[in-house]
Amino acid sequence: MRCQLTILATLVLPLSAEVSVDFNRDVRPILTKNCTTCHGGVKMAGGVSYLYREDTLGKGDSGKAIVVPGHPEQSEMIARLLTEDLDERMPPPDHHPHPLPQQDIDTLTRWIKEGAKWGDHWSFQKPVMPALPAVKDQAWGKQELDRFILARLESEDLEPSPAAAPEEWLRRASLDITGLPPTPDEWAAFKQAWEGDPQAALEGATDRLLASPAFGEKWAAMWLDLARYSDTFGFEKDPHRDIWPFRDWVIRAFNADMPFDQFTLKQLAGDLIGEPEPGDLIATAFHRNTQNNSEGGTDDEEYRMNAVIDRVNTTWTAWNATTFGCVQCHAHPYDPIPHDDYYRFMAFFNNSEDVDINSDFPRTKVADDPALQADAVRLEQLVRQRRADMNTPMRELALKVADWQTLRFDKATAEPPTGILTQGEDGIVVTSGTTPNNTAFLFEAAARPLALIRVEIFPESDNPAEWRGRGAVVSGLEAAYVGADGTRTPIRLREVAADFIAGPFDPNDALAGNAGGVGDYPMTKSPRTAWFIPAQAVAPAGGDRLEIKVQHRATCNESQNCVVQRLRIATSEDPALIAYLDTPEHHALWNEVAELRKQYQAIPGMTIPVMQERSDAARRETRVFIRGNRMTLDKVVEPGIPELLGAPEKPRNRLDMARWIVGKENPLAARVLANRLWAELFGIGIVETLEDFGSSGALPSHPELLDFLALRLRDHHAWHLKPFLRELVLSATYRQSDKATPEIIGRDPRNRLLARGPRNRLTAEMVRDQALMVSGLLSRKMFGKPVFPPQPDGIWNSVYSGAKWDTSQGEDRYRRALYTYNKRTSGYPAFLTFDGSARDVCLARRIPTNTPLQALVTLNDPAHMEFAQAFAKRMAEAGPELGERLARGYQLLTLKQATPATLDTLRALHADAKAEYESTPAESAKLAPTPDEAALVLVANTLLNSDLALNR
Amino acid sequence: MNLFQQLHHDRARHLTRRHFLGQSALSLGALWMGSQMDLACGAGLKKNPAAPLAPDLPHFAPKAKRVIYLHMAGAPSQLELFDYKPDLVKYDGQDCPAEFLEGKQFAFIQGVPKMLGSQYPFHRAGKSGQWISDRLPYFEEVIDDVCFIKSMWSDQFNHGPAQLLLHTGSQTPGSPSAGAWATYGLGSENQNLPGFIVLTSGGNNPDAGKSVWGSGYLPSVYQGVQCRSQGDPVLFLGNPDGVSQKLRRRTLDALNDLNQRVATEIGDPETMTRIAQYEMAYRMQIHASDAFDISQEPQAIHEAYATRPGKESFANNCLLARRLAERGVRFIQLFDWGWDSHGTNDQTDLRKGFADKCRQIDQPIAALLKDLKQRGLLDETLVVWSGEFGRTPMRENRGGMTMSNVGRDHSPSAYTLWMAGGGVKPGFSYGETDPIGYEAAVDKVSAHDFHATLLTLLGFDHKRMTYPFQGLDQRLSNVTKPSRVVTDVIA
Repeated sequence: MRCQLTILATLVLPLSAEVSVDFNRDVRPILTKNCTTCHGGVKMAGGVSYLYREDTLGKGDSGKAIVVPGHPEQSEMIARLLTEDLDERMPPPDHHPHPLPQQDIDTLTRWIKEGAKWGDHWSFQKPVMPALPAVKDQAWGKQELDRFILARLESEDLEPSPAAAPEEWLRRASLDITGLPPTPDEWAAFKQAWEGDPQAALEGATDRLLASPAFGEKWAAMWLDLARYSDTFGFEKDPHRDIWPFRDWVIRAFNADMPFDQFTLKQLAGDLIGEPEPGDLIATAFHRNTQNNSEGGTDDEEYRMNAVIDRVNTTWTAWNATTFGCVQCHAHPYDPIPHDDYYRFMAFFNNSEDVDINSDFPRTKVADDPALQADAVRLEQLVRQRRADMNTPMRELALKVADWQTLRFDKATAEPPTGILTQGEDGIVVTSGTTPNNTAFLFEAAARPLALIRVEIFPESDNPAEWRGRGAVVSGLEAAYVGADGTRTPIRLREVAADFIAGPFDPNDALAGNAGGVGDYPMTKSPRTAWFIPAQAVAPAGGDRLEIKVQHRATCNESQNCVVQRLRIATSEDPALIAYLDTPEHHALWNEVAELRKQYQAIPGMTIPVMQERSDAARRETRVFIRGNRMTLDKVVEPGIPELLGAPEKPRNRLDMARWIVGKENPLAARVLANRLWAELFGIGIVETLEDFGSSGALPSHPELLDFLALRLRDHHAWHLKPFLRELVLSATYRQSDKATPEIIGRDPRNRLLARGPRNRLTAEMVRDQALMVSGLLSRKMFGKPVFPPQPDGIWNSVYSGAKWDTSQGEDRYRRALYTYNKRTSGYPAFLTFDGSARDVCLARRIPTNTPLQALVTLNDPAHMEFAQAFAKRMAEAGPELGERLARGYQLLTLKQATPATLDTLRALHADAKAEYESTPAESAKLAPTPDEAALVLVANTLLNSDLALNR
Repeated sequence: MNLFQQLHHDRARHLTRRHFLGQSALSLGALWMGSQMDLACGAGLKKNPAAPLAPDLPHFAPKAKRVIYLHMAGAPSQLELFDYKPDLVKYDGQDCPAEFLEGKQFAFIQGVPKMLGSQYPFHRAGKSGQWISDRLPYFEEVIDDVCFIKSMWSDQFNHGPAQLLLHTGSQTPGSPSAGAWATYGLGSENQNLPGFIVLTSGGNNPDAGKSVWGSGYLPSVYQGVQCRSQGDPVLFLGNPDGVSQKLRRRTLDALNDLNQRVATEIGDPETMTRIAQYEMAYRMQIHASDAFDISQEPQAIHEAYATRPGKESFANNCLLARRLAERGVRFIQLFDWGWDSHGTNDQTDLRKGFADKCRQIDQPIAALLKDLKQRGLLDETLVVWSGEFGRTPMRENRGGMTMSNVGRDHSPSAYTLWMAGGGVKPGFSYGETDPIGYEAAVDKVSAHDFHATLLTLLGFDHKRMTYPFQGLDQRLSNVTKPSRVVTDVIA
């Protein structure tokens, strides 16, 4: 532990007597660590808060001034820190046995003495392009960014390491940029070029790597952790979800070097872009990677809300590295973000159509033929628009109808009869008793002429707190006149209009005999109205009765009925709608919608879940949840962005929100991305907590460098990743050798100052991909359905699920890791062991570990043994001599020449193994045809497990 | 192994040890600890980052050193086992009164269901005279060692979320499980076996999948390791076909040689850690294979547990639990699937499949408690038994229909959990439900209260056993919801 403290001292430059106190650097960390938990956004114990300067300069409940600028002796804060009276001392002795360290008290005292100057937290201030720092060694740097690293090293009296050998740089850069090691040909070409002109060789290799199709696959692996991309729903049954076209979209976007602002807009709001490009709807599947609970009886509204909350938190973690989730229950404990801001932001996401139903509605079509994708998108949007256009005039006419007569029923029964229907004074029929799925209501009333039937569906109670979280859907309505002699004259109903169109059902479903229909689904949120339009105005013969049957077929929450709980039916004799149905205008719209649908359906393809906004008429209200509980609602809020972060005026929807995220007002996104890309190459971010740039996160090791990189990426490179990464891998910093002396290990064990090149363990994906690559097994097939490489039997054992791991055959057995099927409740074991994400929620940083279980995977997993067998064959191609074979294997994996000592070790291993296999031919045969080859397999397995192989 | 190899091997091991004692605090483990220590807020526990599973001391003297948790996935009926409700029998067959239905959510019950009395007779058992049905005759013999909590309650009425809540303190995936917390806090007494082992039976994993033994935001070394009845007990433990243990040793020696050279040349402390991890993996191969070989047990033990080596069964897992406890594994988590007695078929009928499930667990659990006791392990081993919630005092009427089989729907408001050994009061019962066993009524205990109590038994102040994540000092017993130590159940 002591060593760590030494490092910290080197990381954040110590406060010396000449330097004045800086609030953010020196004071805020002390307050956040020791004070704001009780004196902050959650609790304001004793009326004291250190979140805002005005509060800090105010008075606590005691009436004493907390901080008096210039006068530590008058400041109650300092008095409380120094007092020996244990009843008075802060932090309180019961939870904090020790007083604040004297050094911290001195810092606070000096801060007050110097005027208690305030500063907003560093990451909430816009980045400013810093001047390049002066350095003594003018020759070392290759890129501007190197100046920042070198200046710091020089100030610490450290020297950078020598440049890495070409093989070290090439292997590291290849794995970092493409996730794959170089091929022997690539290495040979690079070596030759290097011998001519090293700089040109480096640039040429970098450009080749950035242009490789493998580039997108490597960077997609990073992004898919943030997107919590998975091939299943999550939760109990954890059923399959078709959403892999989103993964392919991400790969293609990286390969095309789509600027990050476009990349962001499309994923967060591709459905709201006026003229979407073909892939824009697929991109919105980013936020449909939320979990969907299909377990019987789960409250669809509860899990819809969970998904919305997940979208808010994921957006803030992935783009802004802010622990916004804190604000769900209360104001942020450490940062000045008020509670309501959470719900203002949530309002951006609260109006999408998805509702945790098993169909994963709404979905978009992914055309088999990419050339047809643009048509699919156009038609889909057009169908939705025209369908709404068709409904609007009918609704307008219906709202003008004045002669409504509420039906008073003589008889109101349910089928089965366990349901009970009671009509009140207001004409509303209330349901009670037991009403199972498919319950029908049978009504009888005195007959009357009619030209329109209005059905009003009300939530079960006027008090939203009493709603049970169920839907109410009229799946069918039949009307008939019944004569005294029993003759039935059905009234033919032709079309249905609705107050608005939302959710998975079309109003006309109520006449189609399916489960869909009119009402609210899957949860009643407000009264709904539908108008059933007969083919013609009808009138009863004398003595007829009017019979109406309401049929329910929809289910919600996976097992519960959607029987209407309160219903009122009225009729009108106004023929306006009947007449309208025969107007050319309506005919044209009807035909157009039908034709567009036909064209859309004719495009061959699959569908995936996407984001889709509800219409303004169907907009959901967003209220503040008291203490984060969705059952206790507070005031209504409008969509908005925290003012702290330079909110634009009146953002209306997700598109405005996404524009703000990548706009210049937002101080976070560019820093967060630059830091993430840096961490991918250097192992640790400039801000180590990739997920948290707030007061509770880590401070940047090189603040000016971070701002430089952020602005370089956003402004100079216009959000293009490839030229930005090019500068990183060509920097002198990255080009250093990874060799470390004991001295430098002692000074900077975690390489935060970068006096040596980065050395990082391979990611879970790279462990597999490298082994496939060097063994010659790797399939370079890109895209498509997820694959099932070998995994042990019995790993998938989900309840109520017939899903089976059906091991892929042919080249699909050897695809890159990122194409492997990910089941949330049962991930691919080898990946999880190497710190891969289960993809339950957004993961911003994998924390690498080094465990015996990892050794068991690469030593013993039959899949890895298969790699070793293929690798041995490849080694054998080097020639008949064992020495050649061993050297080839070593070089394929590490690019390095094996030393004689290393060759001796391998040779001795081979000899012992060969001798053993000669005496156990049956065992030998399990690995290879001859003992000699079997022994080589064992050597190959050993090489694949070597530390050099497992690091880059 | 020739002399030279032996020499070399010894040197590598020596260096490895020295490495651990010396520079190792700077190695990869330092990465995550270092990252946490950089944070302005939060402390967490002080761990040796190079040996994250090294045995560690809790805040104060523990009552229990380890935990065996027997989870009956699907949620067994408290009303057919431990929660005696004579009043409910009187209401059997009558319509459920409206006040029991208002504001309630059910998984499958619709409309107005009928009340359902216990399907089995109850009696008092043991010297402590605790109530129990006639389904667990073997278990009755150890009932004087058992401490019941009859007033457990949950706010989750679906299996997945309820299991997550009970095991991680949060109903959504992403938080560390109790076993991960215990291993984080205490390390493991046996470095040759995983510190947190999960065994499943009943043909399925629990409903919430592997998240219920995940490490959440804790480092992944603390996640539960699912061990299996078929194939390797620990995934990839066995050498692949064609590789003998002797050759495995030989490859590791060569590997150590290679890695040793890399360590010298590059100087990355992580390389030495890797050498040590490979050696640990090798020892795990031997020790875990031994630990999981129940065929070594004498016939009398097999008869006591009703075990049959080579079969996947809850009985085998109970015997394994004892063997792992003996070897110092910190947290042994059993999941037995198949307790979801909805009454949709014979298997889920309270009179049929449920009785079979009772038979499958009765003898093994009794044998486990007796066996631990006779070996002097029960005092320091906390055994916990529960489902994830309870079942309704109403008969399920799926789809609003009367069903031919007899079952009960999910009922989060009351269920029974029992503990034995490890510092809990023997022959004791805590808490009560209402007269029909529908809601916990007296001395209610939430999952958070249970977690606080569990950590106390393990020697931790549950409010100080924290890990910094997302700007908060997170803890098992929950930060945002109340939690209390149920001191009444602690001996």
